[in-house]
Amino acid sequence: MLCEECKVNEATYTLSVMMGDEVKTRHLCGECMAKMNMTLNSGNIKNLLSSILSAITGNDTPAEKQQEVVCPRCRTTLSQFTKSGHLGCPGCYEAFHEQLQPMLLQIHGRVQHAGRQPLATEDAQRARSRQEQLTRLMEQAVALEDFETAAQLRDQLRALAAKEAQA
Amino acid sequence: MTNGTVLSSRVRLARNYEDLPFDTGKKPEEAATCISRTANALALSGLGDGFQLIRLNTLTDTQRKALAESRLISKDLLREPETAAVLLRHEDAVSVMINEEDHLRIQAVRPGLDLLGAASACFRVDDALSRQVAFAFDKQLGYLTACPTNTGTGMRASLLMHLPMLTVCKQMGNVGQIVAKVGLTIRGVYGEGNEALGNLYQVSNQVTLGRTEQELISAVTAVGHQLKDMEAVLREKTFTTSRVTLEDTIFRAWGLMKFARIMPLKEFFKHWSGVRLGAELGLLPVSLETVDALLEQCQDANLQAQAETTLSGILLDAKRALTIRKALK
Ligand SMILES: [Zn+2]
Ligand SMILES: [Zn+2]
Repeated sequence: MLCEECKVNEATYTLSVMMGDEVKTRHLCGECMAKMNMTLNSGNIKNLLSSILSAITGNDTPAEKQQEVVCPRCRTTLSQFTKSGHLGCPGCYEAFHEQLQPMLLQIHGRVQHAGRQPLATEDAQRARSRQEQLTRLMEQAVALEDFETAAQLRDQLRALAAKEAQA
Repeated sequence: MTNGTVLSSRVRLARNYEDLPFDTGKKPEEAATCISRTANALALSGLGDGFQLIRLNTLTDTQRKALAESRLISKDLLREPETAAVLLRHEDAVSVMINEEDHLRIQAVRPGLDLLGAASACFRVDDALSRQVAFAFDKQLGYLTACPTNTGTGMRASLLMHLPMLTVCKQMGNVGQIVAKVGLTIRGVYGEGNEALGNLYQVSNQVTLGRTEQELISAVTAVGHQLKDMEAVLREKTFTTSRVTLEDTIFRAWGLMKFARIMPLKEFFKHWSGVRLGAELGLLPVSLETVDALLEQCQDANLQAQAETTLSGILLDAKRALTIRKALK
């Protein structure tokens, strides 16, 4: 199969991109894969973001003709963000919500945070560090193939999670 | 035989203050606020002991670059040295970079495959700070970052891996597929563009939103194990089928590293990989620690920092050769 990007070299890589819940697959050669990886990993990310964003906002309309959205807190405009790929302040997330939502979906495939949260109380921290400690011990037990201990630790972790869910 | 394929594990968390604009590196007043607020918060949290506040404008250019080569700070932190700072705990390589792309980048590096250890170290700093200060956070989107590619957990978990056999046997295409399938990326650590000098690669998570930190870490760890196994299989195979060729590569590298008088950087990376492979296979009388330390010591800024003078061209390459010879004696 030929590379879908340059249509010259043999495709040796498969790049999966999340589009919503769908995974789109592209077949690329090493050269194009490296270029793609560089875009994804380096400062060139802003080019990728602008291309995603212009695809969302309609790339045929010149920026100045679009209605300009401005962040009320930092005065960053939507077209500035499109160009740089960087937001001006945390408030921009609200100001550009409409444009950011599809962009975040395209980058991450999901738009609901599932990870840690800033700490509110010391209790929460104590619970969390206990949880992390148990998780580490469990991984160690698994690594040592001590499955009995691992199962006990897993049960403790579950109990802890249940307690947290109640609180 | 698989010992040591993973050199180190690194976790980075992006955090921002709710009330400050991003890109503080270009805004001296806000940058100063960021530095003092972070240093104070860490001191008040009781976790400040052992951390040293280093303002990058108090260092020479060489000293700054040497910190980046040692991976204690990111290259990006060097972009605005007038406003950038780092809270650094040298003993276990934990750092809080201030005024990078985000207000804070909390980073921890652990030897070998230990992303959980690195993450725990980051989380301890994160928790300590978040009890004192308000980070930009949204219930739906998680931690808000300057670039939407980091939104959510704000976390990058990465492994530094030495994969000489996968490279030589042209298997990196396969590897790219495996890695992309699970939402991770792999790229060369040293060199320009396509290069992976020293056959050193970094595997890390690409997405940051919608997965827990544990999920992301498990994904990277699983791929780390998989690559390690693939590399090991190829090593076994090569060791049985073309032992002489493999040994020749290793012992040639060993000879050059032990005896060369001038060692350009690119050549160093090439032979470094051969020596590391030899050490991993138990063929050379040298420890992995010694070999890995060379990676840091032999880069340009570290050599210059050590020489306390600006070396270039042949003098720099001669200094590099000398450093290697001393280490491998
Ligand atoms: Zn191509
Ligand atoms: Zn804003």
